[in-house]
Amino acid sequence: MQETIIQLALAVLILPLVSYLVQIFAGKRLPRQGDWLATGFLGAAFLIALYIAIHFLSAFDQTLSYNLNFQWLNLGKEWSIQLGVKVDNLAAITLAMVTLISFLVHLYSIAYMHDDSRYATYFGYLGLFTFSMLGIVLSDNLFSMYMFWELVGLSSYLLIGFWFQKKEAAAASTKAFVVNRIGDIGMWLGILILWSQFYTVNLDEIIAGIQNGQFTLSNTWLTIGGILLFMGAVGKSAQFPLHVWLPDAMEGPTPVSALIHAATMVAAGVYFVARIFVILSPDALTVIAVIGGFTAFMAATMALTQNDIKRILAYSTVSQLGYMIMGLGVGAYSAAMFHLLTHAFFKACLFLGSGAVIYAMHHEQDIREMGGLRKKLPITFITYAVATAALAGLPLFSGFLSKDAIIAGGWGWASFHGGGWYNVVPALGLTAALLTAFYMGRQVFLVFFGEPRNKEKYDHAHEVPAVMWIPLVVLSVLSLFPLFSLNPLSGDAGWFMNLIPSLQTVVPGIDGAGKLTELTELTHHAHWSTVISSVLMALVGLAIAFFIYMKNAVDTDKLAQSLRPLYLMSFNKWYFDEIYEVTVVRGNIVLAKVSAFFDTFVIDFLVNTTGFLVGFFGLLVRKFQTGKVQSYIAFALIGVLVFFVLKGVF
Amino acid sequence: MLPTSPGKTNKILSPEEGKLLESLTLNHFLTLSAILFSLGVFGVMTRRNAVVVLMGIELMLNSANINLIAFSRFNGNLDGQMLAIFVIVLAAAEAAVALAIILNMYSNLKTVNLDEVDQLKE
Repeated sequence: MQETIIQLALAVLILPLVSYLVQIFAGKRLPRQGDWLATGFLGAAFLIALYIAIHFLSAFDQTLSYNLNFQWLNLGKEWSIQLGVKVDNLAAITLAMVTLISFLVHLYSIAYMHDDSRYATYFGYLGLFTFSMLGIVLSDNLFSMYMFWELVGLSSYLLIGFWFQKKEAAAASTKAFVVNRIGDIGMWLGILILWSQFYTVNLDEIIAGIQNGQFTLSNTWLTIGGILLFMGAVGKSAQFPLHVWLPDAMEGPTPVSALIHAATMVAAGVYFVARIFVILSPDALTVIAVIGGFTAFMAATMALTQNDIKRILAYSTVSQLGYMIMGLGVGAYSAAMFHLLTHAFFKACLFLGSGAVIYAMHHEQDIREMGGLRKKLPITFITYAVATAALAGLPLFSGFLSKDAIIAGGWGWASFHGGGWYNVVPALGLTAALLTAFYMGRQVFLVFFGEPRNKEKYDHAHEVPAVMWIPLVVLSVLSLFPLFSLNPLSGDAGWFMNLIPSLQTVVPGIDGAGKLTELTELTHHAHWSTVISSVLMALVGLAIAFFIYMKNAVDTDKLAQSLRPLYLMSFNKWYFDEIYEVTVVRGNIVLAKVSAFFDTFVIDFLVNTTGFLVGFFGLLVRKFQTGKVQSYIAFALIGVLVFFVLKGVF
Repeated sequence: MLPTSPGKTNKILSPEEGKLLESLTLNHFLTLSAILFSLGVFGVMTRRNAVVVLMGIELMLNSANINLIAFSRFNGNLDGQMLAIFVIVLAAAEAAVALAIILNMYSNLKTVNLDEVDQLKE
């Protein structure tokens, strides 16, 4: 069975790559530019991944895991690099999730991108993107994970900048790439720290080695290594302070945004942190929790005042990723992974839904221009409302189960550490829940309810074709609670939390099992108060949005005026871009100028002087090259005589 | 058997001749050789005609031969003589090659005047 599953998993990995190669080299010559082929490949990959997932679900064994690795590079006795794949419960479920969303995005793109001039190339890039993400999911070692990690960076660059003739798109793709590189450098240093100590990149070996004390690495270094590795996730998963690329990535085609935000790129960071979760020291975890909680809150405040339908969703993604990272930081491993899965479905649904709205409105993205669209786009509206409810954290929807578990885990973690400022982290999460409900309510009310604000565009709007609404329906069904847990108020009894339990840390000096038991107990303790408070938060947020945007109880302009500093801070995204412009970008330019000066006046000077001296001596010596044999003989003779004279003298 | 030391004389020579030969020291031969060599170098460096230069080279080779024979004689072994025979063989070969080069030079450049041959410059 092991061999079959491994082979099938490799087939899932290879299929998108084949799709990419076919589309790039032959796509234009195929009928319909090969969209059916790429979609078919991904559909096949999904079916295989589904088979693998069903295999794991039917076995229902928490420790079930299949490994296969081989020696890729041999640098002597200890210095060899093993590459390989590992399929366990988490990998199998993520595999199915990624291929499903990628398949739906392919399907959706057939309509959304149909008149694009680089239609075939687009599908090729989608294949490459999916392939890179699947590689991360299946890797059992840090090295190949890093390679696929960079491939994800490359393919996101290609897709965000797909419409590179637009200046903003070209700039956004560069920004995404550069910001990600900053995180990746930290990740690479982290990998090198582990490698330099352990001479292995295999995660299971590293974990086992730390656990049984075979590898000795002081907790300080483990913290440093952990935070450096986490830096990679900060970049990919758009956490503070490297979150700035994600909203700009909206310049790419909308289905690509769905892919980036739900399945491939940003999920990679969270997935990676989950893979290294057990070797993270408590200090590193605290850093992770704080960054996650802060990101969740910060991005939610930014989303409040945006007017671009996709940008609101982009900030909500940053915010939700903050939840996942926070969940990992507070030790709610299982809940964070659960949220990764549920979020993927409803966020993909929201993005594809916003794409449908944009498509119907003829590329209008400003929500102030929309309104009343529920009559024109009934299917899109219903699916969008379901996904919004899931994102806002209303009971009966999937998002509630996982978000609630994370916040409860946060309270548990805070009381484990004795309260105090630790309470800030779950409190930030809870506040973000309120803000999430508000801005999602605002978006839905402005887009789908009320009177149409742009009559002309409204009149031309029409429901999207079937290839676009079928993915929406599938994804919104996947956002309902019964698929994950029969109890609509708690995910604890659901299959996911039982199949993928929280892991205990292997960091030396800590009673992993004891800590986990205590955390679980405290989390249980916090469960009901969290349920009540988060439902309350969601309802209050929606209610405020309802009164402001449906009943027009408050004039929004006056509200913005009276809260002007706060409004401006939110509207300008806390001025992060401006701050980075002044510090990082300008600083880089200054550094570049200093380097250029040094290069021109020191390096070039040395090189030019060397060249000049050689040329000068060449000119001198050239006179001796007469071309006449007899003069050469004379020189030789003189030389011999000189030697004799010198011999006589000394 | 050949004489192995300067003291012994060859039976074929008359006593006067033997005396004369005995009075010759190594320095006489070396001086002769040096003069010949210098003449050869002079010829090589000053003559314009490639054939004459070749003759200069032959002079230098033969001065070396005289050196070798003289050393052989005064050392009392045959190593030097053997080397001298090698030199003669080599000189013959060299002459053949050098003459061929000169012929080619003439057919290509229509001259054997070395002053006009400075293609090595380029």
